[in-house]
Amino acid sequence: MCVRRRREWNTKSGAAPHDGGMKIRTVALAGALLALAACEGGPQSALAPAGTDAAQIARIFWVMLIAAAILWIALNGLFAFVTRIHPRPISRRIAETLIIGGGIVLPLILLGTLLTWGLRAMPDQRAPGDGLTVRVGGEQWWWRVEYLPADGGPPVRSANEVRLPAGLRTDIELSAALVIHSFWIPALGGKMDMIPGRVNRMSLAPTEPGTYRGQCAEFCGLSHALMALNAVVLPADEFDAWLSAEAAEADPPDGPGADLFAREGCGGCHAIRGTEWQAQVGPDLTHVGGRTSLAAGILPMTEEALAGWIRNPDAIKPGAEMPGYDHLSPEELTTLARWLMELT
Amino acid sequence: MTDAAAGPRPAVPRGYDADEGVTGPYPPTEEMLAEPIPEEVRQAQEDRLREVWKEPPGWRYLSAVNNSEIGKWYSLTAFGFMLLAGILALVMRAQLAVPDNDLISANRYNQFFTMHGSAMMFLFAVPMFEAISILILPAFLGARDMPFPRLSAYGFWCFVIGGVFVMGSLLFDAAPDAGWFMYPPLSTKQGGIGADIWLLGLSFIEVASIAAAVELIVGVLKCRPPGMRVNLMPLYAWYVLVVGGMILFAFPPLIAGDFLFELERGFDWPFFDPERGGDPLLWQHLFWIFGHPEVYIIFLPSIAIAAMVVPTAAGRPIVGYSWIVLSAVGTGFISFGLWVHHMFTTGLPTISLGFFSAASEAVVIPTGIQLFAFVATLMVGRVTLSLPLLWIAGGLAIFTAGGLTGVMVAIAPFDWQVHDTYFVVAHLHYTLFGGMVLPVIGGVTYFYPFFTKKQMSRRLGLWSFWLTVVGFNITFLPMHLTGLWGMPRRVFTYPGGLGWDWLNLLSTAGSVIVAAGILIFAWDLIRPKGREPLTERNPWGGGTLEWSHDVPEEKWGVRSVPYITSRYPLWDQDKIVERMDAGRYYLPDAEEGHRETLVTSVIDARPLQVLRVTGPAWITMAAAAFTGGAFIFPTFHMYPPAIVSGALAILCVIYWLWTSTAQIPEKSTKDIGLGLSVPTYVSGPRAVGWWGMWITMLGDSTAFASLVFGVFFYWTAGTDFPPADAAHVDWRWSLMAGALGLAAWAAILLARTTNRGGRPLPAAAIAGAGAVAGALAIWAFITALRLPGLNPTSHVYPAMMWALGVWTIAHLGAGIIMLLYCAAALIFGKATPTHDAPMWNVSLYWHFMALTVTVTVLVTAFLPRGL
Amino acid sequence: MAERKQLHREFSEELSSLWRIAIAPSVWAIHFVASYGLAAVWCAKWSDATLLGDVSAWRVLICGASVVALGIIGWIGWKAWRQWDFLEDWDYTHPLATEEDRHEFLGHAAFLLAVLSAVGVIATTLPALLISTCT
Repeated sequence: MCVRRRREWNTKSGAAPHDGGMKIRTVALAGALLALAACEGGPQSALAPAGTDAAQIARIFWVMLIAAAILWIALNGLFAFVTRIHPRPISRRIAETLIIGGGIVLPLILLGTLLTWGLRAMPDQRAPGDGLTVRVGGEQWWWRVEYLPADGGPPVRSANEVRLPAGLRTDIELSAALVIHSFWIPALGGKMDMIPGRVNRMSLAPTEPGTYRGQCAEFCGLSHALMALNAVVLPADEFDAWLSAEAAEADPPDGPGADLFAREGCGGCHAIRGTEWQAQVGPDLTHVGGRTSLAAGILPMTEEALAGWIRNPDAIKPGAEMPGYDHLSPEELTTLARWLMELT
Repeated sequence: MTDAAAGPRPAVPRGYDADEGVTGPYPPTEEMLAEPIPEEVRQAQEDRLREVWKEPPGWRYLSAVNNSEIGKWYSLTAFGFMLLAGILALVMRAQLAVPDNDLISANRYNQFFTMHGSAMMFLFAVPMFEAISILILPAFLGARDMPFPRLSAYGFWCFVIGGVFVMGSLLFDAAPDAGWFMYPPLSTKQGGIGADIWLLGLSFIEVASIAAAVELIVGVLKCRPPGMRVNLMPLYAWYVLVVGGMILFAFPPLIAGDFLFELERGFDWPFFDPERGGDPLLWQHLFWIFGHPEVYIIFLPSIAIAAMVVPTAAGRPIVGYSWIVLSAVGTGFISFGLWVHHMFTTGLPTISLGFFSAASEAVVIPTGIQLFAFVATLMVGRVTLSLPLLWIAGGLAIFTAGGLTGVMVAIAPFDWQVHDTYFVVAHLHYTLFGGMVLPVIGGVTYFYPFFTKKQMSRRLGLWSFWLTVVGFNITFLPMHLTGLWGMPRRVFTYPGGLGWDWLNLLSTAGSVIVAAGILIFAWDLIRPKGREPLTERNPWGGGTLEWSHDVPEEKWGVRSVPYITSRYPLWDQDKIVERMDAGRYYLPDAEEGHRETLVTSVIDARPLQVLRVTGPAWITMAAAAFTGGAFIFPTFHMYPPAIVSGALAILCVIYWLWTSTAQIPEKSTKDIGLGLSVPTYVSGPRAVGWWGMWITMLGDSTAFASLVFGVFFYWTAGTDFPPADAAHVDWRWSLMAGALGLAAWAAILLARTTNRGGRPLPAAAIAGAGAVAGALAIWAFITALRLPGLNPTSHVYPAMMWALGVWTIAHLGAGIIMLLYCAAALIFGKATPTHDAPMWNVSLYWHFMALTVTVTVLVTAFLPRGL
Repeated sequence: MAERKQLHREFSEELSSLWRIAIAPSVWAIHFVASYGLAAVWCAKWSDATLLGDVSAWRVLICGASVVALGIIGWIGWKAWRQWDFLEDWDYTHPLATEEDRHEFLGHAAFLLAVLSAVGVIATTLPALLISTCT
């Protein structure tokens, strides 16, 4: 019923491939419900699962939806029947049987079945992972990301994007700095809150490589709407290669870009591994140019976007901690942005 | 049916003995009721009643306290707040119409969605239930007024002041903006006064809600007409009872939460700060222990309205009366076992989620029974599809859709996907629009002739109905998909290209249609109808007592309080309206010039007392204003004016009790008609005041229990509660404080018996001594906390100990005032050996205090040493 | 004193009914809170404890509590069924202004609440049966 398509969500390309409309793949007899079933939404859709958890939940949803639709039509059809079609007395016995049958027996059977199914699904969704652990920390309004490799290697620090191996279950540890956030990649699975003072655990098992969008789901202040991230699912071997590249230190070219970075004190907040800049206040920039999006999933990773962001972050993300650098000339901004883009 | 004796078993008890004050034949016989009343007697009685119940003229109208005036103002005010909150929703929809819109700033959007939710919940949905109930409950019960009219008035003015304060903050761009759920640490850590406004303004309104709940519960239990046994109560009254009880147990946890929250905001006590042992989740628990029952507090009254409209529309009694009572009571209970389903994604163990998942499914059963009982009633009857029934049918159709999505989100894994998305926005609006807004509009349409003797327009009604229903579905049906496609709630904007664009545009278009529908209804409600003919008295052919009313001409409510032998007296009891009008039943007169209503027993509604209810007054408004000051000044950290204002509020309340409630009637019994004579003054469990105290203290104890829950919560949630090297409360001083508190309790009991024994002045001295013991207990508690150097800002453990201490100390303070009030009443003759209601009520308060003090001593001084 | 007696009579006649109405849902509530509290505390403090072989202790305890709760509810339900006295007159509407109808109505309501409470207790037990771990 559901059409499986490979989705690519990449802010780098500017506009995402627009496939939001209803894609009706069914023939006429399928009707509206099936039409709905055929529309799996965009890159942030829970109805376009790319992981076992999301797929299981989507399956539960479709079954519940069909049952709910039948029940709704039956109950309201009955209501319409007794008020409009046949507003004359019907035997009391039938009416009372209806209360017991419809009010107690039927719901007991249906809810009992549903509950058993739903409860049994819970442990599956929180099954332990296959080795890799990703730590994600919520900040206002961006994400700290840290990979703890399965082989016990040193943690690899990154930010604002998670990459996961397909076909494996990855443990995810969630925490938050100041306020509550919630980590959610709909195409891969359900969400989990990130609560200051606690470490919450979840796991995800992506099956299909691709880029999926996620977003903070718990209201976290002024720019809650602008706290997103991309989850990039890679085939397992590609993932391993990527992770070792990500673990490597940056090799930033010398030149005016580096000078600007130093002069403007960017290193006071941001770290670039392999350089003298190791501050942990803002997102780690070691391989920033290699990410698929900028400013926590809200801008494409382009020179122009990056320059605009550095000039005035508050205009793009109200309340952002990063100060604006509007005293820099457009050329300087471009130079700095180009230099950062080279950190891949 | 003619009389009560029509049962298979003869009713054994007949009449009362002379010595307890109730004398004469009861129940009345058919012959007694058939006896005509002379016309001149009737005229004279009517003149006196009219004089007593007339509303104050001119600008003094605002000092009215009668349930019909207060109820009308209350519901119109709540409706006004609903329109304001609706406007906020429209602006939000406009902002979300297209991606990356910048119609309003993020900051303003966050204020708007916070206030939309807060206002709809606290300023519309819950107050609307109270308002409608205050307005019509006495009519259902054939009562002249609520038992405590000035309390209703006080509650109403508190509501107005608090509501205007909270909503007004929008105009100064200072409104709360952390969501209607106010989750810390976001709400505790951010600057500005928004969170304080939310907290204090709404706490103030919660107090008003609890006041209304107390009033309504006592009204149902004690102010029913003679003969209305529990099995004959109108279903609305059952629902009021259940919902009142739920308010009593649901709001206090939130008040306890507010108390902790404000201590953190105002004094930096770290209840929700993880760095000092606190835990943000405690707030979520307390908030949702309130928040989920609250959904049913909103929904059940609307079902209650449906339960009144449906039998009328079917022209026959409700099918499955017992079933519906069961559903109401059952829903009331189970709704307290659902709160964690708002917290499925907080990382609690799956097993904990499982319990709440299961309970959330179980609650479907009583709700389903209610719906099927309505269908069954309509089945066995001959249905007229009146406008009210149409609204209710539309409401139920929408509600069932919301209920079915509710079943879905109760399955935890599914909720992990849709929690905090537009799917939930759709779900909750389906339940609240279908379960509250539409049935209430149906109810207003139904009861409109009862208030005004005019009909609302059927043509406008149909327009309004179809615009609202169609617009609603255009707005909210697509939101299910928006949510499933990943759009989170509470976002001020969203990017294009995620498939959400056209869905949001559709929702925005629909919202305009809903607004048009609601506006047509509002216009129909307020448009002048002076030239339209008056409706007949019972235009829908209803069977319950409210349709015997002849308002608005006569403000007395019922001309005489009938003797009831059926659930639908107007259908089953011959000539009942005629006899009520003739003054053939009870209390047809107001000879002494007092407003009076009848108090009856809880189960069988036997007449027990004529209660003199209070009339128009300004003091209630002053008390509300000063109470408002006590809550509003702290918002601006102006503590001295707040304390002065609070003290003045207490003085106002004492003045009002002293000058009106504490009047000793000039005669001990009164002939209420049909040869029955009942006392004019009772005390103890027979008095409404005692029930009011009992119910209030149940709520108060719930709040206290929530604080104690907090202690256990911190113990299970963290490993450092209490911290290994923590200083503990001094147990010797604590024990002494407990002993002194118990001594004060003993003092009031002793004072009561001494006074009963005919020695009021020694009793006054004993009560005074009790007050001294209470004051010493306060001092001992403070010493027990201060001596070991517990610093409440250092860690949540000392903060929690102090919070329990502050709570108990404040209650001891109130207890001392009550003891002094008793002493003064005894000295100045406001209480005598035979008229000792205050002594009983204060004893009851101190029973609860004894419990509070004991638990506080155990939990602060002893338990933590063992943890 | 006679009126006081009258009032007492009315109450004493129905005191047991009122208890019956309150007990079954209260048993559900206590069982619910106990199960939730037990699981929460056990999982936080002693997640490894077992009973009856290698079954987690809290699961055994919750199931035991359910048996007790269902026992109490069943007993209350039986008493309420007797009070309702349905099989005597097949009356389930209780619309009359008589002591008998009032009495049977309260019995009926208590019986239905007992049924609902039993459903509630069984629903609360399901998670303990189906979910075996604390995570």
